[in-house]
Amino acid sequence: MNNAQQTARVGLFFLLGLALIWVAFETLSDGKVFKDRGYTLIAGFESLKELKVGDEVRMAGVRIGSVEQTRLAGRRAEAVLRIDPGVRIASDATGSIVMAGIIGTDYIGIDLGTTTAPMLEPGSEIHTIASLDLNSVMAQIGKLGTKLDDALGGLSDSLKGKDGKPGLFQKIDTLVGENGEKITATVSNLQEVSAKLNRGEGTLGKLINDPKLHDDLLATVGDIKTAAGEAKTFMANAQSIVDEVKSGKGALGMLVYDEATANNVRVSVKNVRDVSDKIARGEGTLGKLINDDSLFTEAKGTLKKADRAIDSLDDNGPINALGIVAKSLF
Amino acid sequence: MPAGSPSSTRSPFSDTESPAVGVKLENLCKSFGDFVVLKDVSFAVEPSEIFVLMGPSGSGKSVLLKHIVGLETPTSGRVLVDNHDAADPVTREHVRMALVFQAGALFSSLSVYDNLALYLREHRVASESAIREKVERALQILSLDKTGEKFPSELSGGMRKRVAIARALVMEPQLMLYDEPTSELDPVMSATISEIIATLKDEYRVTSIVVSHDRDLALNIADRVGILMDGELIHVGPPSELHTPKDPRIADFLNPKVDLKNPRFKKLAT
Amino acid sequence: MKQINAVLEGFGSTVLLLVRALSYVGTLPRQWHRFIEHCYLIGYTTLPIVAILSFFIGSVLALQAGYSMENFGAKQFIGTLVGLSMARELGPVMVAILLAGRVGSAITAELASMKVYQEVDALETMNIPPARMLVLPRLAAVLVMMPVLAIIGDLVGWYGGALISNYTHTIAIGPEAYFSALRRFTKFTDVMNGLMKAELFGFGIVLVCCSIGLNTRGGPREIGASVTRAVVTSLILILVLDYFVTKILT
Repeated sequence: MNNAQQTARVGLFFLLGLALIWVAFETLSDGKVFKDRGYTLIAGFESLKELKVGDEVRMAGVRIGSVEQTRLAGRRAEAVLRIDPGVRIASDATGSIVMAGIIGTDYIGIDLGTTTAPMLEPGSEIHTIASLDLNSVMAQIGKLGTKLDDALGGLSDSLKGKDGKPGLFQKIDTLVGENGEKITATVSNLQEVSAKLNRGEGTLGKLINDPKLHDDLLATVGDIKTAAGEAKTFMANAQSIVDEVKSGKGALGMLVYDEATANNVRVSVKNVRDVSDKIARGEGTLGKLINDDSLFTEAKGTLKKADRAIDSLDDNGPINALGIVAKSLF
Repeated sequence: MPAGSPSSTRSPFSDTESPAVGVKLENLCKSFGDFVVLKDVSFAVEPSEIFVLMGPSGSGKSVLLKHIVGLETPTSGRVLVDNHDAADPVTREHVRMALVFQAGALFSSLSVYDNLALYLREHRVASESAIREKVERALQILSLDKTGEKFPSELSGGMRKRVAIARALVMEPQLMLYDEPTSELDPVMSATISEIIATLKDEYRVTSIVVSHDRDLALNIADRVGILMDGELIHVGPPSELHTPKDPRIADFLNPKVDLKNPRFKKLAT
Repeated sequence: MKQINAVLEGFGSTVLLLVRALSYVGTLPRQWHRFIEHCYLIGYTTLPIVAILSFFIGSVLALQAGYSMENFGAKQFIGTLVGLSMARELGPVMVAILLAGRVGSAITAELASMKVYQEVDALETMNIPPARMLVLPRLAAVLVMMPVLAIIGDLVGWYGGALISNYTHTIAIGPEAYFSALRRFTKFTDVMNGLMKAELFGFGIVLVCCSIGLNTRGGPREIGASVTRAVVTSLILILVLDYFVTKILT
């Protein structure tokens, strides 16, 4: 390779390096070569905390400049902010140092201010407020932690017992321990009861299981029918009495021919008829008892539930069974 | 014989003359650690003289040469080149010295032409066109006309030696030092190199110090011969004295008898 | 004791070589063609391996970061991690290690063979100081080329990380999120910091390799020994320098 070619390649290579350095510079420092672009504002703080030269200035979260310089000015710290050209900041906008995250850097956040306020002139000072920094937040969290700790300690004491006094769990434990036999007995009684129910023992059991009940009910209805038949006979008798009364026989006849008395009797008869009609239609308690089969259905359903409850009782032990009984009952 | 004062060096490339230099060794001692290489060596080389230093291998000849050119510093004593201490790097600014290395020490990354031009370019003694002229002249003097574009690795041993001499010549040295210029060469090439050394001395009156164990070279071209054995200079004198040496060591060195019945290595062993 | 002495001797001769080379800075314009040649060898020819290595370093960083940061929900900081570590540490160190292996060894081998075959002695008899002709252009070239290599390493590493973050379904961080995280915490000063480190490493490597090469004594066998010594010394130098430079620069 001749000299000129070599020189050209080296030159090209060197220029490439310079260009790449420039690219890195442009990328990383946002072209700070044009250092005098934009204008400066001064922000005074009691403390700049973690703020460094080069940190961002954001307005409503949008980057509008960077911290150009940090300095001490008398009894306060000042940050000189370089704001991008074209960004106008209202004079009542407020700046504060904001943390970008626990491991992030800080930035200066400026709010929008109001539209009516005049704009800030270059070089003027921006109104600032002190903000909580991570350390104070952390200190508060620390205090909160202590309190939480105390509270939990108290709770734990009351649960565990303190200074020899038994705690809640201990008490429950003791209760259960002391009454274990009774509870077991209760549960077994309950089992026995339900078993009896199932076997149709006792009144309720019979009510549920005994087919005789049905017969009794039917018999009752039959009785009622007989009663109704008797009522018919009674009516027939009443008819003959009425006939006799019509014919005006006896004292009663006279009584009947007395018109008011006759009316009364008529009403009575009507009432009796009404009652029997209602019974036939199933109205009223007695009617329902006679005509409605839902009572029987309900009785059957209750029985089923009890059955299920007992099954679960066997499977899951007393505590679950309580819940299941409650659930199936309600 | 070209004109000019006998005590000055003439440039092979122009009519400019610079004074020939003498070399003087005063009680030179050198040791590497406990190993003594040179023991109290003293002699002087006159300007425009060919001084041949002979001696068996390992007698310290090359080390002595390096002292003269300033690559080594003496343990004691000193070397004076034109009355400047050779160990002082500044001496090289005053006196142009060239050392022809035993293996040539050509710059393997440079072509023959660039090897020769390097000194001139580095010291900016001439324009590029003047350099070209000088280099081509030097190549011509050593009959290397067509090797300019070749690289040292492409050259034969004899050519490499001649390129090394040409490279030294381009420096227009006042003092030429040759380290074994004829070793590893065939007899004809050895004679050629000897002729070149003599010619350079005759035509340009360069002071030359030649380290060699080539007896023919020494006897033919030397003005004076020094013999170094085990770091000691045991003889200095004109080559004629060596035809009938008095010292048996010198006689054995110059005219070794091959005695198959009583070989030397067996004598040394006992 | 002998070893300590050798280390100190090496250190001293290196410093001396630097001083000597610097005293010839004025001759640099005359040695322009040599400077360009070394720029070519140090910079241009090293570029491919630097690009490949940096790409994969960036990718692996992103992968490992994705794997470990997922555990505490910080995946969106992969860009930050890759950006900062490439710029401040891995970019310069990796480029320097490559330079030691690829360029440093070649420099030592060349100078050691020149020394062994008496070319360096020949230069000295010609009154051409090796520090001027052999060392100075290399030092100047590495100073110019090292930042270029380092910035290429940085950027290629960043893009490698971005690519992996985007196309690995367990990470799945898009380039926008990646680079915004990268930009949020990586400052240009971090990059400059890294380039400065790279500059120091490169200079140190070339100086040490030149010094070890020129101090080679003995036969051709010593060339290999010198190259090994030069690379090992360079690597140690990189890591030791890295520690101190990082301390000073942060």
